[in-house]
Amino acid sequence: MHQTSGPKPVYDYDIVKYFTIGAVVYAIVGFLVGVILALELTFPGLNADIPYITFGRLRPLHTSAVIFAFGGSVLFATSYYIVQRTCRVRLFSDFLSRFTFWGWNLVVVLVVITYPLGLSQGKEYAEPIWPIDLLITVVWVAYFINYVGTLARRQEPHIYVANWFYLAFIITVAMLHIVNNLAIPVNLTDSYPIFSGVQDAMIQWWYGHNAVGFFLTAAFLGLMYYFVPKQAERPVYSYRLSIVHFWALSFMYIWAGPHHLHYTALPDWAGTLGATFSIMLLLPSWGGMINGIMTLSGAWHKLRTDPILRFFIASLSFYGMSTFEGPMMSIKSVNALSHYTDWTIGHVHSGALGWVAMVSFGAIYHMVPRLWGVAIHSTRLINLHFWLATIGVVIYIVAMWISGIMQGLMWRAYDSFGNLSYSFAETVAAMHPYYLIRAIGGIVFLAGALVMAYNVYMTIRGANKG
Amino acid sequence: MSDNQEVSTTGHQWDDEEGYPLQEYNNPLPKWWLYSFYATIIWAVIYWILYPAWPIGNGFTKGVLGWSMHKELREEMDEANAKKKVVNEQLASMPLQEIAKKNDLLQYAISGGKAIFGDNCAPCHGQGGIGSKAGGFPNLTDDDWLYGGNLETIEATITQGRTGQMPAHLKAAGGAFDEAQVNDLTQYVLSFSGRSQDAAASKRGDALFHGEAGCNGCHGDQGNGSLKGTMAGQALPPVGAPNLTDAIWLHGADPVSIRESIAKGRMGVMPAWGKGSKEVGRQLDPLAIKQVTLYVHSLGGGR
Repeated sequence: MHQTSGPKPVYDYDIVKYFTIGAVVYAIVGFLVGVILALELTFPGLNADIPYITFGRLRPLHTSAVIFAFGGSVLFATSYYIVQRTCRVRLFSDFLSRFTFWGWNLVVVLVVITYPLGLSQGKEYAEPIWPIDLLITVVWVAYFINYVGTLARRQEPHIYVANWFYLAFIITVAMLHIVNNLAIPVNLTDSYPIFSGVQDAMIQWWYGHNAVGFFLTAAFLGLMYYFVPKQAERPVYSYRLSIVHFWALSFMYIWAGPHHLHYTALPDWAGTLGATFSIMLLLPSWGGMINGIMTLSGAWHKLRTDPILRFFIASLSFYGMSTFEGPMMSIKSVNALSHYTDWTIGHVHSGALGWVAMVSFGAIYHMVPRLWGVAIHSTRLINLHFWLATIGVVIYIVAMWISGIMQGLMWRAYDSFGNLSYSFAETVAAMHPYYLIRAIGGIVFLAGALVMAYNVYMTIRGANKG
Repeated sequence: MSDNQEVSTTGHQWDDEEGYPLQEYNNPLPKWWLYSFYATIIWAVIYWILYPAWPIGNGFTKGVLGWSMHKELREEMDEANAKKKVVNEQLASMPLQEIAKKNDLLQYAISGGKAIFGDNCAPCHGQGGIGSKAGGFPNLTDDDWLYGGNLETIEATITQGRTGQMPAHLKAAGGAFDEAQVNDLTQYVLSFSGRSQDAAASKRGDALFHGEAGCNGCHGDQGNGSLKGTMAGQALPPVGAPNLTDAIWLHGADPVSIRESIAKGRMGVMPAWGKGSKEVGRQLDPLAIKQVTLYVHSLGGGR
């Protein structure tokens, strides 16, 4: 049934190597900026009144660096790696591969220059000004052509599940990016969005939530579907589950955006749809976790010896936790407590650090020895990284849970006379210790990434010497 | 899930480069997963029936509960305001002195005043009204008042605001005196708290204080400040000149800070919060001012 005949194609691993190194570098940059921001929130004087490094300008730099520079590089690297191996064919076009690499990195450089200068569209996770948006669009179309072209030329009869997720991610992100950035330029750096008022807000959160859904969830599930069974050397648990949860996830996610706008000018009905689809999204999200974790069924003993598998299983656990927490927070009455508090920040980071970053670390450790054709420099350092990452995430999210729920409860606390018990400044003062704890969690997580960078560097150096 | 080993794969294989190809079992959907998924869908349908949900034409399905966030807000606000209505009316109509005598009313006003103070006054005066040396914002919990610590004066201070001006005395800062004279004045002012190091300079400063510089016109002959002090037996105008004989110093008690105050002057502004205030966001209604007054008075200094 399986045809392995024919010569082994020459894969384009160079492009995967470029993006992998990019991912390691951007991980450190993104996490470092995050740590600086956490410390600025704890000790506001740290920005030294320098406008370029104030919280408002660095914050989008942090989110873009971790999501688009680090996460994006991981997705380019893994998708190019996976699509070649599962289609048994070289990437469609060497030119397009390199174009996506240099184009994407040019976007990152432009972002790093423009944000600190205060040049921003003011849309969360879509801050780049319009010329950069155009560049992103061109790069993304090249990515799409390169990916679909490779699929079309495949030498395997079936398309492996990981590729469905990557393709859904590429198509949906193209749509989200274009619609949310529709704007009329007034000069080289400024533009006005074509939507206004609550419609603009709705489009923004349709974009924002599906950036989470398709960039940070669907695409990384694709990554998971390749690397977990590969690393565990076990078949995926259920093909049927992968189909059902793929379509359910894709259909449900796109509706969930309005839950970001509960109790605002957004009409009630839109909020209801956002909340109900978020709840219906819970089990489709969990389908990926079940498929990943159950793939290890019968091979649990491997967790004792394989720190890479440990990264995968821990990431799936954080994934399961944050995809449970998210729907709960989308319910209006829960949202009334959680919205605008640090709880949201904790939720995002349990997904971003616990799921996205940890599953990416696992993929990087899996790919690097195969790309460079040598053994990893140190398995013990992978294990050290695993514990630093896990402890860092836990410290971070526990601090934000406590801080956020406390903040929400203090805002709504009334005394027996019906007057507010706390002023805003008192709630800020109460959060201070948790901000410090959060910064410590971030520093521990960053330390883990530095261990990874060292390990990857030593591995590559060993390969070049050999 | 125990049936894992009995289930066959789909037969598809990919990427066997490392000798272990990607394969897929064809396990059925886990029952608990499927039924939970159905349950969330049923929950959503029920929610759609109960609450506003689907857009139709220019309108939307209203939901059988008749709920809307605006209605919820309005009802909760109405309920809260109804509870407060009676007591607020009492507060509004009664004079401060009367309110202060009725403990339940007073406690209510203090609670409301604390909330209003926290969001409006605390940025300068600090949580709990302890003031700030760095900005020269008075401590409201001590018994040292610039304009008076009784209920009526506190209310007037909040409503109309206050501007306290200590003029500059050094020539270089626009005043009329040279460095030596400012030093002499500093020594004399220090002598009020027994800290003068130079009796001769203090004596020269004394002459300036009561003479050419005219400090006693605001601070009084004994330096007790405009509230308690006198000049030639006459009460002083209510200009908010501080008492120089106690240990409380708005802008620092050390000789360098005091010399700085004399040389370059100081300007203290308490903004007006009454209806006349033109500044955006800096307006409290008379009832709110009354409550803040009673709260500030309760902090300790007013008693």
